[in-house]
Amino acid sequence: MTSPRQWLRAAFGALDGFCSRVFTPAWNPMLQLGALGWYFFWIVAVSGIYLYAFFDTGITRAYDSVESLTNAQPWAGGVMRSVHRYASDGLVAVAVVHLVREFALDRMRGKRWYAWITGLPVLALIYVSGITGYWLVWDTLAQYVAQTTAELFDALPIFGEPISRNFVNEAALSDRFFTLMSFLHIAAPLLLLLFMWVHIQRHAAARIQPARGLGLLVLGSLLVLSVAVPAVSQPRANLDAVPAVVDLDWFYLPAYPLVQALGGAATWQVLGGALLLMGLLPWFPRSRPPPVARVSLPDCNGCGRCVTDCPFGALTLEARSDGQSYAVEAVVDPDRCLSCGLCVGACPTATPFRSSLSFTAGIELPQVSLAGLRDELKSACAALGGDDRLVVFACAHAGDLAEDLKRNAVVARMPCVGMLPPSFIDFALARRLGDGVVLAGCPGNACRERLGQRWTEERIAGLRDPWLRARVPRERVALSWRDDLDAFRRGLTQQPAFPAPAKTPTGTGSPPARPRWPAPARVAGMAVVLGMISAATALLAAELPWRQLEAGQGVVRLSIRHATEPKVPCKPLTPEEMAALKPNMRRPVDCPRERWPVTVELERDGRLLYRGTHEPSGLWSDGVATVHRAFAVPAGPQSITVRMRDGGRADGFDHVRSGTIDLQPGQNLVIEFEGGTGFSWR
Amino acid sequence: MTPITWRDEYSIGLPDVDHEHRVLIAMINELAETLGPKTPRERIVGALGEICSRIAAHFALEEREMRSLGYVGLAEHKRDHERLLEDILDIMADVESPADYDPAVLEQRLSAWFTEHFRTQDAKLHHWLAARR
Repeated sequence: MTSPRQWLRAAFGALDGFCSRVFTPAWNPMLQLGALGWYFFWIVAVSGIYLYAFFDTGITRAYDSVESLTNAQPWAGGVMRSVHRYASDGLVAVAVVHLVREFALDRMRGKRWYAWITGLPVLALIYVSGITGYWLVWDTLAQYVAQTTAELFDALPIFGEPISRNFVNEAALSDRFFTLMSFLHIAAPLLLLLFMWVHIQRHAAARIQPARGLGLLVLGSLLVLSVAVPAVSQPRANLDAVPAVVDLDWFYLPAYPLVQALGGAATWQVLGGALLLMGLLPWFPRSRPPPVARVSLPDCNGCGRCVTDCPFGALTLEARSDGQSYAVEAVVDPDRCLSCGLCVGACPTATPFRSSLSFTAGIELPQVSLAGLRDELKSACAALGGDDRLVVFACAHAGDLAEDLKRNAVVARMPCVGMLPPSFIDFALARRLGDGVVLAGCPGNACRERLGQRWTEERIAGLRDPWLRARVPRERVALSWRDDLDAFRRGLTQQPAFPAPAKTPTGTGSPPARPRWPAPARVAGMAVVLGMISAATALLAAELPWRQLEAGQGVVRLSIRHATEPKVPCKPLTPEEMAALKPNMRRPVDCPRERWPVTVELERDGRLLYRGTHEPSGLWSDGVATVHRAFAVPAGPQSITVRMRDGGRADGFDHVRSGTIDLQPGQNLVIEFEGGTGFSWR
Repeated sequence: MTPITWRDEYSIGLPDVDHEHRVLIAMINELAETLGPKTPRERIVGALGEICSRIAAHFALEEREMRSLGYVGLAEHKRDHERLLEDILDIMADVESPADYDPAVLEQRLSAWFTEHFRTQDAKLHHWLAARR
């Protein structure tokens, strides 16, 4: 039985592997989605600062300034605008893929809750930032976003009166509203940046810059896409009409059709439920964490290498507690330690060349003793024969190893391949336990413990402590995520016999990683992949229109704001009544504040479209009663009747208006009510 | 057998590091004193393994201190550390191979292996630290 998560994990494994072949592991975008998110953020920020210099706030000036920016300086403003849009789409794309991937790899369970939970506000703020941005252009898409957002927020019981009424006509809308929106469009990204920083706080060596080559490729793709498919405005917003068809940006606005289909309240329930579910995921189902790393003080001199290499900031150096003449010692925070063992691989005392029966390193995992690993290797390897004996150090997440890797081989498992101290590789080859050593890590270089594979590569290359000794013949060491293992195995038998004993050669260095594809094929592959991603971005950003209103329909909108009479008229108090009141409550006239509700009916061609009773707002029901409802109806000549009861009568109506209208397709007919003049529509 | 004796010039002025230097000298001396034609090979290799592990940790500590002090000669000093770690493994390999094993040579090599680094790199660090004060 395969769970969706296992299925997803397999899919990501395949995708990671594919991208490693196309982009090389160093440039693999799947392994630096978070860093790409940061990169996109900065691109959006820089292009946004440029756009802000040319943006005017105002109902007409907003659209005019964006149009002039796009058309008058196509090679500067136009490109900047397109880059701004596509990079922010890229931000959503990498954030969502990042989230799904972390879920698939189970990198959010238990003690790893922190990055998952702090990622949720990051995601929400990305959406707020993008949506407020679309609002600023004030084209028909902005109008759609404004009206639908207002509808969504009106479903929350936090506003005294519907904010939708701000968008019924231009007279209701203020220029300063655009000042507010541009403020929000700057404030939300700043808050986003803060949460992005919070998001990475528990990750040592968190990657916030993609590989330079990949960064240039992405920037190049953004520029090409911006020139090929420039971001443009849709027609100018017109509040007297309903934009029947809008080109949605499906990266940012997929929830908007949902608001129309389900209504505001149900949309909140769906979004809130999804958020709650995601917030609970790290703890359900519960996991039982393995025992955490343990420091052996007699073997620890406080060198701090484990602290440097811990991917989760679970180690610190604290004042010495055992009286030895050292200043500090390593201390494990059990709430953060994920028992990955990378600290063990960093510890200088973790070497199998120590031959005492039960040595301990300065830091070890209780469940994998290094002395035990050494003895197990020594005894198991004695059973191997021939000249292609393999010693395989495999991480727990490497999955089932290929049959060929298990033939004439000893396989030692550990929580992460980064747990292996490099001296074990030296030991296995120097003591002739095998003819070759294979380190098998997570498929596609997607280390589940973040840095195990990277640290391993760097230790082998002499870029990170502890170095793999120069005397170790590098052609006898293979990394499953980098090297062709079949070729490696064949190569072992063809190599000159092991010189005995192994000695340090003069001149050291490790051979460069062998890319799996030849250079021209990789360049072509990168171009095809980036081209496809760019095309998909352009398509999703503006080329998949959404019809919110059927052809041949218009909208009749009830937009009423009416303060009714108090239910009980004011009454002068008699002196006796006044005397009965507390001194500070005494008043000559008593006016109960509660007002009458309004009951509204809307009829079209003799058929009832709507009937509803709306209470006055306010805790004392003494505010205005508001009605805001929109109805999509077929266009054409039709009779409309609207009635309202706003007093104490049991039936019948106080205000009625009937008439014939000729509704145009796409027209937004607003029915309003003024105390003095009654109903009006236009 | 002439064990290494602690000399004041070995002290470089960092308490952790000086403490470990003494411990290491004691370990090497202890091994040197037991060295003889009849000493079991495994015992020598075992002692060398412990020295190797201890000195690797010592170098790690010294490198951390040098890094945090911003020592200018760090890269050169570290290179010498790595060379020494290569050397001790070579020494161990020689002990294991019957043809290359000679207790007198071994003792001389060990002593040179240890004191040469003292004379050069550690002395430089010492002077640098002294000039800083």
